[in-house]
Amino acid sequence: MYIVSDILIRTAFEGLRDSMSEIITVKDLVEVYSDGTKAIQRISFDVDEGQFFGFLGPNGAGKSTTIKVLTTLLRKTSGAVTVAGYDLDKDPKEIRKLIGVQSQETVVDGDLTGKENMILQGNLHQMRGRSLEERVDELLKLVELSDVAKKRAAFYSGGMKKRLDLASALVHRPKLLFLDEPTTGLDPQSRATMWTYLGKLNKDEGITIFLTTQYMEEADKLCRQVSIIDRGQIVASGSPSELKQEIGADAITLSFAEDDERNGGAKAKARELLAAIPGVGNIVDSDSGMTVYAKDASSMIVDIVRAFDANQLHLSSINLSRPSLDDVFLKHTGHRIRTEELVKPPSGMRFRRGRR
Amino acid sequence: MSLMFDTWVLFVRAIKKLIRTPILLFFSLFQPIIFLVLFTQLFKNFGQLPGFPGGNYLQFAVAGIILQNGFSSALQSGTSIVDDLTSGFLQKVLVTPVNRSAILLGRLLSDAFRVLVQSAIILVLAFALGATVVTGIPGILLIFLTVAFFGLAWSGISLTIGLRTKSAETVFGIGGTLTFPLLFMSSALVPVGFMPGWIQTVSKLNPISYTVDAVRVLTSTGFDWGTILSAYAVIGGIAIVTLGATLYLFRKVVS
Repeated sequence: MYIVSDILIRTAFEGLRDSMSEIITVKDLVEVYSDGTKAIQRISFDVDEGQFFGFLGPNGAGKSTTIKVLTTLLRKTSGAVTVAGYDLDKDPKEIRKLIGVQSQETVVDGDLTGKENMILQGNLHQMRGRSLEERVDELLKLVELSDVAKKRAAFYSGGMKKRLDLASALVHRPKLLFLDEPTTGLDPQSRATMWTYLGKLNKDEGITIFLTTQYMEEADKLCRQVSIIDRGQIVASGSPSELKQEIGADAITLSFAEDDERNGGAKAKARELLAAIPGVGNIVDSDSGMTVYAKDASSMIVDIVRAFDANQLHLSSINLSRPSLDDVFLKHTGHRIRTEELVKPPSGMRFRRGRR
Repeated sequence: MSLMFDTWVLFVRAIKKLIRTPILLFFSLFQPIIFLVLFTQLFKNFGQLPGFPGGNYLQFAVAGIILQNGFSSALQSGTSIVDDLTSGFLQKVLVTPVNRSAILLGRLLSDAFRVLVQSAIILVLAFALGATVVTGIPGILLIFLTVAFFGLAWSGISLTIGLRTKSAETVFGIGGTLTFPLLFMSSALVPVGFMPGWIQTVSKLNPISYTVDAVRVLTSTGFDWGTILSAYAVIGGIAIVTLGATLYLFRKVVS
């Protein structure tokens, strides 16, 4: 009973959101770097006002590039984009007044105190005086940095710097907040704290949030609307629950004991065996094995193990799970998302490609 | 309105950073002060050589040392813009509606301010050692203006290198390599008449010589406007080239 009413409310809520105006519209956006790299192939999407929108994808998928284009930092190659009601080409200055941005690399000035960092950010948005002070104090309190507001940011921990960076993106009360991997590199506790703030900002203050992430869990937990991006293309869009429902089945993940080549085409054989089991749906190869989708997966495990045993195929593990966004990603791209935290190249390198 | 306010905000930030990392101020002052104290002692008797202008090495060298300071600190200014580029600070500023020109202007003004403060420190030390400025307070103010203007023109070089290479090491390397040859082959520390012929030729072409001569007439001779104005003409010419290049590269980065 509970579940039904929850779904009803949710549907009604989403219907309501649909009728709201779009705060970001992107049509056929293409971004080609000066060295010929096609960072964004051709993407289109809209974000409604008040939405918590997630751009989910692995490193190098084009997430940061998209944010740089939308925040007026990088000139797009082609396509039509509006942000906060303004055309990206015609009114970048108006857009800058209405957006807040937290980039992937935490940017705080270590020589300035936490509070000075915030005041500077307010000044750059033409704010000053008493009202700015009050706003800054309020935000420092929100991100729990009031106690250290007068200490130099160089002495802050990684999580504190991230929080300061987030707070300084909010000084001018932006309508729309861009967050480029806000929790990458944070410890689990800081990540959970960040999630709480972000949820609050979206819910209580009505700020539209555009977030990129390589963490499925993060997108699932925070976002009401997700676009999955891989190699510069959007491969799937929808709410996390819609996307998972689309899979329509549980996932059985099989890992083989030996790798495919040494095992003489074990994968092909396995595929054959699996297809013969009644009720098996989609079968998708993954790096170390394969994933099988099925409606009533738990009853199938025994059949699978028996069939494999009879044919001398050795499994190292078998895993049953409810569909996750990870499975959605796998289904649409044929590979699992790799969450890597690469050592970033010096940003000068990235900078050289024609910026705006 | 926004231009002035934004420039002021970014100027104050740069000054705060400077004050809070006194080690940087110390290092760029260290060399000129060593020159001021050691060189003038080492070459003290130099002043007694027949034909030495004014007959006093300290009085002669002060102008050169003030300029040396302006020169070396201006060459460091490119490193701060590299810092802002690589730390992401510049990008963070660029997504705000800040006036674009203010970003460069705030940087240049803070560089000029820094050179002024350092020049004042050197001048006070020189007074303590016995040097004088014959043109008095107005002369001192004109010296400051000249050094600041000179500093801006040379900042343009390091900013250009910084924006072009995005590498603080390169700025330091090129800056350091340029400083000494240009300084020694100018009228900064030795009267032109005492130099071998080929260095005399280089020295006459060296823009530093013009500026040193202008500061030197202000410390030792009087308001010799011919010398002063020709220095401004030379610095002005350099400024147009170096700041023009800076502006061009900066525009490429921000727009």
